Amino acid sequence: MKVKTTRFGELEVNPTDIITFSEGLLGFENSKKYFVVDPGDSTLILWLQSTEDEKIAFPIIEPKIFKPDYMAKLLPADLNGLELESLQTAKLYSVLTIPANVTEMSANLKAPVVINSSKRVGKQIVLQDSKLSVKHEMYKELKVYIGNFSSDDARRTSYEPSITLEGGDLKPAAASPSISRTLEA
Amino acid sequence: MLVLTRKLGESIAIDDNIKIVVVQIKGKQVRLGIKAPKETKIHREEVYQAIQDQNTEAVQADMADIARLGEELKKK
Repeated sequence: MKVKTTRFGELEVNPTDIITFSEGLLGFENSKKYFVVDPGDSTLILWLQSTEDEKIAFPIIEPKIFKPDYMAKLLPADLNGLELESLQTAKLYSVLTIPANVTEMSANLKAPVVINSSKRVGKQIVLQDSKLSVKHEMYKELKVYIGNFSSDDARRTSYEPSITLEGGDLKPAAASPSISRTLEA
Repeated sequence: MLVLTRKLGESIAIDDNIKIVVVQIKGKQVRLGIKAPKETKIHREEVYQAIQDQNTEAVQADMADIARLGEELKKK
């Protein structure tokens, strides 16, 4: 199917790459269908693009890239809501805010976007941990990471989310395929 | 909205498994204790507002800024 986007033009999206956020994202409850765009640029930023509103696209990034010790503790109810039995196919992203002064970019660690890629469902989950910031500045860490790995393109998908079930027995996800790469060359 | 009056130390039960207790009253501040199952999500309302604001700001990301960010990140 063809999807119009303001940032990436018209994209051909495989219907199986569309992820349903049944509750939308906070403040965007009416947009429920998204897909992930990897523009393949040097920033390592992906985009959660709405299929229903061409203007709505959230820049997202895997938090492990700039915060290797990031741990998201999901409650059993969160896992059930995502039809997650195991975490093998779960992907976790932070939503980014990128102001005109790009060095002040920040990531929302408090409410990551979690995607079950095999069931194609996603949810923005508000974590209970009160120490996590909604606006965590991370430009410096991202720059260091990119400086270290700029020649290693494989790294962009090698980072896997680490989700731990409280008191549970689930282990961090093993490598799983990236969700979609739909941008035409 | 249901409105109930409670005194210090009194509580409200919601369903069979959630209990809210008035722990302290000090001027305009009320301290509440909440007993609920582990899977119940409890947040201050402001947390949701802050996340909504962050999402709203996030979708305003401009491709020109992203391009500039890409350049900045590449600089030694």
